[in-house]
Parts: sequence; structure tokens; C-alpha cells
Amino acid sequence: MNNPISALRILPAELDPAATPSASGPKNGFLETLRETIQDMEHLQNQAQSKVAGLVEGNGMDVHSAMIAVEKADLSFQLMMQVRNKIVAAYQEIARLQF
Amino acid sequence: MNLFAMLEVSGSALGAERQRAEVVVSNMANAETARTPEGGPYRRRLVVFRTQRMPQFSMLLAGLQPGSAQGVHVDQVLADRSPAVRRYQPGHPDADPQGYVAYPAVNPVEEMTDLLGAVRSYELNAAAVAASKAMIQQSLDILR
Amino acid sequence: MSLIDTPMLHLLGRFLDVSVFRHSLIASNMANIDTPGYRTQDLNFRSEMQRATGDFEYASFSPAVRKVEGLIERPDGNNVSLERESLLLAETQLRFQQGVQLLRAEFRRLSNAINEGK
Repeated sequence: MNNPISALRILPAELDPAATPSASGPKNGFLETLRETIQDMEHLQNQAQSKVAGLVEGNGMDVHSAMIAVEKADLSFQLMMQVRNKIVAAYQEIARLQF
Repeated sequence: MNLFAMLEVSGSALGAERQRAEVVVSNMANAETARTPEGGPYRRRLVVFRTQRMPQFSMLLAGLQPGSAQGVHVDQVLADRSPAVRRYQPGHPDADPQGYVAYPAVNPVEEMTDLLGAVRSYELNAAAVAASKAMIQQSLDILR
Repeated sequence: MSLIDTPMLHLLGRFLDVSVFRHSLIASNMANIDTPGYRTQDLNFRSEMQRATGDFEYASFSPAVRKVEGLIERPDGNNVSLERESLLLAETQLRFQQGVQLLRAEFRRLSNAINEGK
């Protein structure tokens, strides 16, 4: 997924990197962090999904492994949301300063 | 081997020990049976335990280590081939021409000891079931 | 995965995996306590913990299972000790419980760090 930020509509339109191709340096850095966080989150969620499916299907998946995977996926989602919130808050602050 | 599969392993033992106990009880009940419908005295029976590879879930078959996790089952129920115990009872309806009656070669003390052993092993595996259940519960608690 | 996968999480996950596997060996030993010729199996907890490298799946976890030395052998060749297995059953279960508590604490710590950071 080359642009998860747009696809998932995580950021408001004005901050979407696809909308503003000529992005400045600092903005790129934050968005890159967010992109990495989203990729981690997707990876962990896929893992959690397959482990829980394994558990439910009774194919030998162990309970504790599945539970750990679910908790990790949940935490990485929270992390992603926090990163997103910080980015949005920072830009709102900057926008306010620029009148 | 996961915790649910362990319940099967312990369960197989509970079943085997119960079968063992049933055979012992049958021996004890028939200790004095001189005549069975098939003719002749009751023959003492005994069980033979064998290790049993538990049916594994398909996806784990490839990675499962042979000989690591095994249940048990009663492989055979054998008739004791010891000679019958003969007692001189000429007036007995089942006496042979020499006046002897054939009785099962069942030693009540031996049978009782066997029964106690089966009970103890049963309890041991019941404890294993309880432990597996507790660990499954604790695993679920990981998610609060 | 970098931020969520702390060394502590990895260690505790591994600890639970080894505990569960050991429990499976104990359950097998107990099931076969009356099986003629059966030999007690176990693993070396410490060395299995030390073998932890990178990411791995419990499903493909294959620790070194070995026969236990020094046990009394009965006439039918079985050497499973009721006392040994009972003790290990209780111990392994308690350790597992401990591992879960520590794991939950680590998840809580991560959650706090993520949600209340700064």
C-alpha cells in the first residue's frame, strides 16, 4: 500500500500528502512516521487476525499466542491514533499562528 | 502442543484408567464365579496400556515433534492364562469327577491394590485437566 | 512492530511458550504413568529460554525434548514419578500465571506510554 494515509482517510484533507504534492520538509517527516506506524499496525492486525482465526478453527493455535497478538495489534492501533492526533494538533496550531 | 490438545491427552488417560478400574471391579465381583455361561470358571482379565499419538490438527502435523506429546489407550483386554484355583468340594454342583471345583485365579488383595492404583492415576490426570483449564483461563485474561 | 515489540514482551512471550510446552510434556507423562516401558520426558527450561532468537511461532516451536535421568524404574519399564510430575504440574502452572501477570503489566505500561505520553 503506497499511500495508506489517503486510503484510510486518517488525516483531514488539507494535510493529506496526496493533495499537496510539494510537501515541505518537516511535514514529510511527521507523515513518514505516521506511514510507518500504519504499516506496523497493519502487519500486527493481520497477524492477530490469522492467529485468532486459527484459534477459532481449532487448528492448534495456542490461546496465549493469539491473545498476545490481539493486544499488540490493539496497542499499535492506539499508537497510530495518537501519532495522527499529534500531527493534526500540531498543524492546527501552526495554521492558527499563520492567521 | 496447545492447551486444548492437552485436555485430550489427559482425557485419554481418564478413559483408560476408568476402563482399568472397570476390569478390576469385574474381577472382584466374579472372584467366586465357578460357572460362566461359556462353561468353566470366570477368567480374570487385565488391561494393557499403550501410548497413543493424539489426533493432531492438520496444520500442526508437519511441525509436530514425534514422541513429545502422547496420550494413552487400552490396547488390549487380556484373559489371564493362569490355571484356575481348584478346591475340593465334592458336594458342589460344579464339581468335576474328582470332586474339585475350579475357581477364578483372582487374588482380592491384588485386585484392590490395582484398583487403588487406577484411582490414584485417575486423580493425577484429573489434576492435569484442572491445571490446563486454569492456564487457558489465564491466557484469556491477557486481554483483561 | 518496533515500538510495540519490547524486549520484555519478547521475553515474556517466550516464557509462556516454554511453560506451555513443558506443561504438555508433564500432561503426557501423567497420562502414561501406567504405560509399560514409558520414559519420562522433559525439557531444559533455562536453555530453551536462552535459545530465544528473533520472532517465532508457538506452532513451530520445537524445543529439545529429552528423557529424564535418575528416575526409579518399575518392573514394567515405566519410570514416571507421581510426586515429580505433581510437583512440576503445580510449579509450571504457577509460573505460567506469573508470566501472564507480568505480561499484562507490560501491556499496561505500553498502553500508558502511548496514551498519556508527554
